[in-house]
Amino acid sequence: MRRFVLARLAQVVVILFLILTVLFVLFRLAPGDPVSRLVDPNLTPEEAAHLIRQLGLDQPLTTQYLLYLKNFFTGNFGYSFHYGRPVAEVIWERLPNTVLLFTTAVVLSALVGVSWGKIAAWYQGRWSDTALTILALVTHTLFLPWVALLMVWVFAYHLGLFPITGMISPEVWLDPQAGVWARVVDVAWHMVLPLATLFIMHFGSYLLIMRSAMLDTLKEDYILTARAKGLPQKVIRNHHAAPNAALPVVTSVGLSLAFSINGGALTETVFSWPGIGRELVLAVSQNDYPLAQAAFLLIATVVLLSNLIVDVLYAYLDPRIRY
Amino acid sequence: MPTWTLAYATEPEGEPAPPPPSPWRQRLAEGWRVFRGNLLGRIGMVLLGLFALMALCSYLPPAIDPMYHPMTGVDPQVLHSVGPSWRHWLGTDFMGRDILSQLLAGARVAFLVGVSAAFMAIVLGVSVGMTAGYAGGVVDHLLMRLADMIMVMPTLLVVLMLAALFGRLNIWTIVLMIALFRWPGVSRVIRAQTLSLKQRPFIDAARVAGASHLRIVFRHILPNVLPLAFLYMTFRVTSAIVIEAALAFLGFGDPGTVSWGMMLQWVWKTGHMFRAPWWLLPPGICISLITLAFYMLGRAMDEVLDPRLRDETQAG
Repeated sequence: MRRFVLARLAQVVVILFLILTVLFVLFRLAPGDPVSRLVDPNLTPEEAAHLIRQLGLDQPLTTQYLLYLKNFFTGNFGYSFHYGRPVAEVIWERLPNTVLLFTTAVVLSALVGVSWGKIAAWYQGRWSDTALTILALVTHTLFLPWVALLMVWVFAYHLGLFPITGMISPEVWLDPQAGVWARVVDVAWHMVLPLATLFIMHFGSYLLIMRSAMLDTLKEDYILTARAKGLPQKVIRNHHAAPNAALPVVTSVGLSLAFSINGGALTETVFSWPGIGRELVLAVSQNDYPLAQAAFLLIATVVLLSNLIVDVLYAYLDPRIRY
Repeated sequence: MPTWTLAYATEPEGEPAPPPPSPWRQRLAEGWRVFRGNLLGRIGMVLLGLFALMALCSYLPPAIDPMYHPMTGVDPQVLHSVGPSWRHWLGTDFMGRDILSQLLAGARVAFLVGVSAAFMAIVLGVSVGMTAGYAGGVVDHLLMRLADMIMVMPTLLVVLMLAALFGRLNIWTIVLMIALFRWPGVSRVIRAQTLSLKQRPFIDAARVAGASHLRIVFRHILPNVLPLAFLYMTFRVTSAIVIEAALAFLGFGDPGTVSWGMMLQWVWKTGHMFRAPWWLLPPGICISLITLAFYMLGRAMDEVLDPRLRDETQAG
């Protein structure tokens, strides 16, 4: 087990190096002057000269590459053109917002998807199964930005139940009287629509995977044994079949992470949720290269690490898996 | 044992035996029978037929009147967004362009992007998968690690990053990018299939008969992995259409084409989303339905190729 984890970790490090290198090469291959892409055009000549020295842009490529790696591992990503502040600062401010929205959405849709998938498989062929499967198929293929726009149009604009965009209301956060609780409620209120959008988009795939895994599991001999022993149906379903059927769902969380991250960025953009995904989209449209680069590298690192965790978790959960 | 040999054996002496149907046609006929029995597959086919009709009809409106041109046609009497009327069945957008003709043109773009990106991704995925599976060893290891690496990357954000570096992308560059980042899933499946085919006696037989590696791969392995490749192609089509639409929605699409994602970007960015439901609803419905159609088609084909699934649904 330890050897497996170490081997996978080494793999992640190699892949990360590859991504870093590809990005380094692309920044210098792209048409135009790499200096203009890394140094803010609005800086004074002295400041620009200082930054060029710091990034080693006046040095040969090999030195630049080493400096680039050193800067990555020390968290120094230069200055954002748009904000005029260190990129790392901007990123660290946005990261918690994305983590909050994204993990809540993934956990919620996985839990609901798994439990509904369990029910659909148990009542295979009956109307509840048909209804759940069709619901999953249809919601799973909706176009996410459009769902987000509809959410805003119906629930925020017409019904006025939720705020149209943003994450906080300034009047609550600037009011010194407002307690922690009022602020938590405020964020939760802003989070309902983006969360609902991500949930609608994602629970379907978990439901479909769980349903087919559960159907396979229900054919196993140990389920027959459990039935023969006269165990209650509910016990067979929830304690014998479901935990074993849920294993493929764990893998699918890892594999569908890339898909969910695309969705997360789109949701953040439509709802103006101040997260990493929206920051990447904004940085790209404002030609803020240092910020875009850092946001992208962060997302890539997170994806690689999460896949590592999912693999390890899978090996831990299923003793039959030995690498 | 194919049924025709039995029929052949019991044929009376005098009459000439009917030529046996080729195994390929027999397999196709059998597949078609299962496919037709599948409700999802039928719905998917009907929906796709409708979208194909839309794509074909997209040439009509500009031919009727230049003001119906999806990109450059502007109705001089309108010049802003108005609701449906006899003149404009689905209303107009912020500068008086006809929404229906944009919607029809969008169907054309969706098919173009979806099918060409999926086709390229499949060609890449099948070549890499067969090479890795057949060659084995270091080649296999390297190619599969590369596939793993590309597979976990969020394609939309990668293409966005490339758009940042290389400026505006035209529609063919977008198609190429999608294909370059969507092959790994296919290559894994094809590799697994190739590995199992490699162990079969007919490959040994071919090798003993002196067939070269290239001949074995193209004549003996390729025909056996193609059905699986086609199945994966339908799923790639949906992901390509969605990625292009999302890219256009974020404002990084090809400014010279009218796609459904582009229409949504216009309605969103010009602030018409609260005022013009006739403009907000159709493109989203189209993207969602075409994705659903290809997805249903894929699941129906899955059932044709995998008899295990077939039994399961028949039992239920």
